[in-house]
Amino acid sequence: MSALILRLVEQVGATPAGSVTEVALDGPDDLASVARWCEATGNEVLTVLPDAVEIHRGRIADPLASLPPERRPGHRLWVYTNFHCNLACDYCCVESSPTAAPRVLSTAELSRLLEAAVASGVEELYITGGEPFMLIDMDERLRLATSLLPTTVLTNAMLFRGERLRRLEALPRDNLTLQISLDSATPGLHDRHRGSGSFERALDGIRCALDLGFRVRVAATLGEDAGDTETELERLFSDLGLDDDQRVVRRVARQGAANSGLTVSRTSLVPEVCVTAEGVWWHPVAAIDPAMKVADHWAPFDEVLDSVREEYRRHRIRGDVLASTFPCA
Amino acid sequence: MNDDDTLLVGAVAYTANVVPIWEGIKEYFADSDTPMDFVLYSNYERQVEELLAGHIDLAWNTNVAWVRTLRRTNGTARAVAMRDTDLTFRTLFIGRQGTGRLSLSDFGGRRIALGSRDSGQARILPVHFLTEAGIGADDAEWVIFDSDVGKHGDTGTSDLDALRAVLADDADVAAVGVNTWQAMTAGGEDLVADLEVVWESEDYNHCNFTALEGLDEDRVERWVQHLLAMDWENPEHRHILELEGLREWKRPELEGYRSLHEAMESQGIADGW
Repeated sequence: MSALILRLVEQVGATPAGSVTEVALDGPDDLASVARWCEATGNEVLTVLPDAVEIHRGRIADPLASLPPERRPGHRLWVYTNFHCNLACDYCCVESSPTAAPRVLSTAELSRLLEAAVASGVEELYITGGEPFMLIDMDERLRLATSLLPTTVLTNAMLFRGERLRRLEALPRDNLTLQISLDSATPGLHDRHRGSGSFERALDGIRCALDLGFRVRVAATLGEDAGDTETELERLFSDLGLDDDQRVVRRVARQGAANSGLTVSRTSLVPEVCVTAEGVWWHPVAAIDPAMKVADHWAPFDEVLDSVREEYRRHRIRGDVLASTFPCA
Repeated sequence: MNDDDTLLVGAVAYTANVVPIWEGIKEYFADSDTPMDFVLYSNYERQVEELLAGHIDLAWNTNVAWVRTLRRTNGTARAVAMRDTDLTFRTLFIGRQGTGRLSLSDFGGRRIALGSRDSGQARILPVHFLTEAGIGADDAEWVIFDSDVGKHGDTGTSDLDALRAVLADDADVAAVGVNTWQAMTAGGEDLVADLEVVWESEDYNHCNFTALEGLDEDRVERWVQHLLAMDWENPEHRHILELEGLREWKRPELEGYRSLHEAMESQGIADGW
């Protein structure tokens, strides 16, 4: 045991603050001793390897602390209530379509999830799909959600008719935002990716929601063919009377049905915990990508959340260490 | 000597972490009326020469470098500040578990691992303590580890080499600085259960900031007062204090250097290179 401590004192002592050194272990029992010694001397075990540990010289600042509070994992919860959709957008990150398996998260399951989420400190809810309003009883879910958390529901706003419209009208306006997809200021680009005639119906839906007194945010998803769309959209947003915080423009991610776009991974995305009927995912933009699956079920929610936070910490710390120790020239 | 008001402090780069320590101290002084900058040397002998040549205003000296500076200046150099931990430094002899507490007279006939020849704590003073107890080189087997010469034992490498010799049964006891043992036992003494302290010295002094006689006393005093104002409870100060291994800076108390003066005199250790 003393030989191990001698190695620690010598190697860690000679390691520049903020750098990492690999210390050989003589056996599995050594790990606890290393952890104790590091804790007492202000150093941290970074990675446990089969026969060694990587030790970070000095304390590591918590990467979560450097994120704005609203971006920290656990502040925002995403829920896919279903995966079927009245549209089949060619860039859909979860391959939703009229023929997609619905994979519905029941109201009862949502209720249990939200209770656990609130207890774990979640402060904001985003409901998406599929098209959430494909579920005729979506209003029940939204009533439940808005009674617990500020809630945003992502929709294409094309189903606000008949019984669905009546149910929408009856929803409370407080704590609820409708985030409506609109990818261009004129029909061409929007319809090319989302289906013929979808632009006009989406615009009608935006106006309908605004007329009903809902808080509306309009979100555009732009691909490589967007051209000057963003500038044109900004003009339209202004015409609709939308403030800056009611406008979202993001890029297509190479996920699901999209053949091109931004490549995303667990190491490149700040996690936004996302629950579907099939499990928990690192981020809603990748909720069918097996590599982005965090857990098969959301319960116990606080443990899932902790595991996501811990993995994010590891990614960030590892990235910082590599950035500081891997100069090519 | 500097032309401007910036005090130039010399230190020895015995580890890469010396840089953040001195960057931190420099930053701390930046807002004071006695700003400082620092120069890093590869060994204490070079630093002493540079202080004597007037190329730096203050030298962060080991106890050995302090004694040499004092001798070279006929006793006119002065220590202006030191760490709290410099007032309570000790040499320990470490043996294998079960050796038990020893008196120095018990060391006769044993294999004694000693550190670098310029390390006050791991070589010069242990030899002095043993010699005073009647244990000379002919009375015991000295196992010498002259590692990192020039750093005056700051790296602790020779301490660790000596301890490895004990663990390998190539030596019965090893002389180390108390700071090395504290680093080893920080997580609990049971982590080094196959070793134990068999003897420890009285407290003696270790490092200090050394100035030459000609340096403006008022200027130094203002610098020292600002140094002494570093506060363990202030997180920014604490980071520096932890790296440098102290809780608070102190005015010097020179009595604790007497044993080293005697040791270097009796062992005929040269005043310079």
